[in-house]
Amino acid sequence: MALLSLPLTASALGTLVFAVGRVEHPAFALQGLQFDFPAGGRARLSIARLRVVDRHWRNVRLDCAHGSLDGATVRCEGGVLRLAGLPHPLQISFQLDLAARAGTLGIAMPDGARLNARLLTDGSVQATVTGFDLGVLPAWLPRLKAWSPGGRFDGELKWHPTRMFELKGRLAGGAFGSEDGLRAAEKVALDVRVDAALKSDRWEWTAELGWRDGATYLHPFFIEAGPSLRAHGQVQQGVLDIREASVTLEGVEQLAASALLNLHTGQFDRVAVALAGADLAVVGPRWLAPIMAPAAGGRLRFAGRVSGALEFEHGRLRLLDAVFDEAGFSLVGGDGGPGLAFGPLSGYVPWRDGLPTRGALRVGGGRWQKLALGAFDLGVDIDDRRIRFDRLRIPLLDGALVFDGLVLDGGDTDTDWTGKGSLVIEPLSMHLLTEALDLPSMSGVLSGSIPGLRASPGEVVFDGTTVVSVFDGYLRATGLRVLEPFGVGSHLTADIEAHHLDLAQLTETFSFGSITGFVDADVRGLELVRWRPTGFDAKVSSSEGRYPRRISQRAVQNISSLGGPGAIAAIQRSLLGFFDTFGYREIGLGCVLKAGVCEMSGIDGNAEAERFVIVSGGGIPALDVIGYNRRVDWRELVERLQRVIAGNAAAEVR
Amino acid sequence: MKLAPLICAVLLSASLSVAAQGNLEVDSPAIGALKQSMHQRHSQLAPLYQSGAVGLAGDGTVALHSAGSVPLAQRGQVNALIAAENADRRALYREIARANGHPEWESDVRNTFAQRWVQRAQSGWWVQQGGGWVQK
Amino acid sequence: MSPSLRKLFLGALVLTTSACVTINIYFPAAAAEKAADRIIDEVWQLREGAAAPAQPSAEDKKP
Repeated sequence: MALLSLPLTASALGTLVFAVGRVEHPAFALQGLQFDFPAGGRARLSIARLRVVDRHWRNVRLDCAHGSLDGATVRCEGGVLRLAGLPHPLQISFQLDLAARAGTLGIAMPDGARLNARLLTDGSVQATVTGFDLGVLPAWLPRLKAWSPGGRFDGELKWHPTRMFELKGRLAGGAFGSEDGLRAAEKVALDVRVDAALKSDRWEWTAELGWRDGATYLHPFFIEAGPSLRAHGQVQQGVLDIREASVTLEGVEQLAASALLNLHTGQFDRVAVALAGADLAVVGPRWLAPIMAPAAGGRLRFAGRVSGALEFEHGRLRLLDAVFDEAGFSLVGGDGGPGLAFGPLSGYVPWRDGLPTRGALRVGGGRWQKLALGAFDLGVDIDDRRIRFDRLRIPLLDGALVFDGLVLDGGDTDTDWTGKGSLVIEPLSMHLLTEALDLPSMSGVLSGSIPGLRASPGEVVFDGTTVVSVFDGYLRATGLRVLEPFGVGSHLTADIEAHHLDLAQLTETFSFGSITGFVDADVRGLELVRWRPTGFDAKVSSSEGRYPRRISQRAVQNISSLGGPGAIAAIQRSLLGFFDTFGYREIGLGCVLKAGVCEMSGIDGNAEAERFVIVSGGGIPALDVIGYNRRVDWRELVERLQRVIAGNAAAEVR
Repeated sequence: MKLAPLICAVLLSASLSVAAQGNLEVDSPAIGALKQSMHQRHSQLAPLYQSGAVGLAGDGTVALHSAGSVPLAQRGQVNALIAAENADRRALYREIARANGHPEWESDVRNTFAQRWVQRAQSGWWVQQGGGWVQK
Repeated sequence: MSPSLRKLFLGALVLTTSACVTINIYFPAAAAEKAADRIIDEVWQLREGAAAPAQPSAEDKKP
């Protein structure tokens, strides 16, 4: 504080005028002060220029009900100060010994808030604040206006400009909110304690913060009261150095941070955060899901522990380290189904801005839909937003999924990532696979070679061939695509060809009566939504070659009932009853499924004719099965098929 | 050789007139599932459009406009709601393009939808036009 | 027209036709708008919304 000039003049009118040139202080400045003491014990203080922090006023006037100048002591009681921009006048009393540079100051606001300060002869200030409304701060600090702060603060302050600073206080009902609502707090109760001492050219400080009530939203995180903070550091040349801050946070054993805050720009130049023993089940939903997958937040599950470190420079992430300890991640399917899960997972994943790094994880197992995945090692080379996987072998049943040259490219935004590589499915036993999928047991082997595996947010393309040897023949799937794999519109398309399937095994597996012989099938444009067919162009027909062709009475009835009320077995009912099996020459059935309707066809494939032959008889006794209703509701057909397989089908034979 | 552009123009106009009469296929099961999902979410989004918390962005997505009116504890859910809606919308545009055999139409579909969402927004809703937010 | 000129002309025709075929695959904007409106109707259920304000007017007619 510097008092520059003290010219005293007594005017001829009996009033005393006393002027001060300038008072400077980091928090405020006064220029052109003039005290008038007119007769009658009143006093008036005029200030040509007033600055409080960075708010300026001109020609400010303070009228005191009682004022006096006694020696070097100026006294003002019941003073009223009106300042442009402040909603209410301030009530001010003070007593100032100009020679000793000591005194007291009391400010009362109309809302009951009070500030009492004592200026001591050593230049220090002691102040107590009660019920200070943070809502008036924007009037003093216009740049706070966009944050609409609120709440009441009670506290004590001791301050010596060249020695120490001590603040102890409590905020109640604290609030703020940015204009876009992305950063806000409500009903915050906070205990604050800051101690600082000036050591040669820098302030060394310690701080404690206890957050007892309320909540805050810092996009995209919602955080409730509970965390507390202890920190220490220094302030030097406009930089606040937070050397160490330790935060207690639910679900985290240790959380420490350090930072450099540039006080001129208000920006952090550097922030480093270290985390140890975080419980993923607690921190996952709160801190990871909002960043990683806000849309799937409710479907993501976390378990296990993570430790790690983060470093930012000028707001940009420069370093990330994560160490997983028996961690588990799962994503419930979009339809509420079992989805995808991995864990327990342990290992280390580092990332550096502009530098390649290498991570290694040991994954104890996983699950995809109903299939359990075995343990595997995951080695990755990470370069910026690109992840290159080592050869990855995920055991599945008695075989494995082997990915080679798998690369994920994060793209420029969250929505344009891509992936590519190749996949080999090492032979899986169909017996185990059908058992795991709760399907009727089948024998055989599934294997695949998919050299062109490509993925993007909208689709996963499997360019290659998957072959299932089953029922003495084989099925071959090509052009497999999983579309919208992560959303509600998830569906799958493929083309399937089957050759020389043994009808005896097939019909036995699905309890469809008994047919001997072989069939080929061709299914084009198969579309599955949640594993249910919604579209295809399928044709099943007897395989070429010489082999016994017999069909049981039960199978005839089942085929007829599949054809609906219009389908009849062209044989007399009485005759049908005499025989258990019949000979046939050819079986053929087609279905084009579109918009829930199956357009059926028979052996001849002639779509014009009203009737179509499904089974043409041959040998003795022979019979034809003929369909008359080409358009069948697909759901009805599936229901009939299920009834047939369940053995409850009532044969409709005329 | 000057005939070449002329022939091209004639053929082009012929093909234009033929294609313009075509309809866009929007009845695939996936589109149905997406519509259903978006319709269900709309009951949660409608009050947010009305309060101005969420607005219709110019690129066919929805975006946070001003979350101030939303209770603090629910702002994270609004964010999740926006992300889920946008995932569905992006899937819808891709799926419509795909259902018509032209995956490359995705951006055209998105642009068409972006205009229609904005034009059909109810009064009081916030929409993005020419980069800035406007209240309808 | 000389045979060589005719060949040239024919060649040009083939070239331009094939070039036009690629241009031919264009986006049916009007149909897309119609489709978008249909989907927006369903997602926002605007028909129900339109029916709701119609009710008071029907009541107004009663007296």
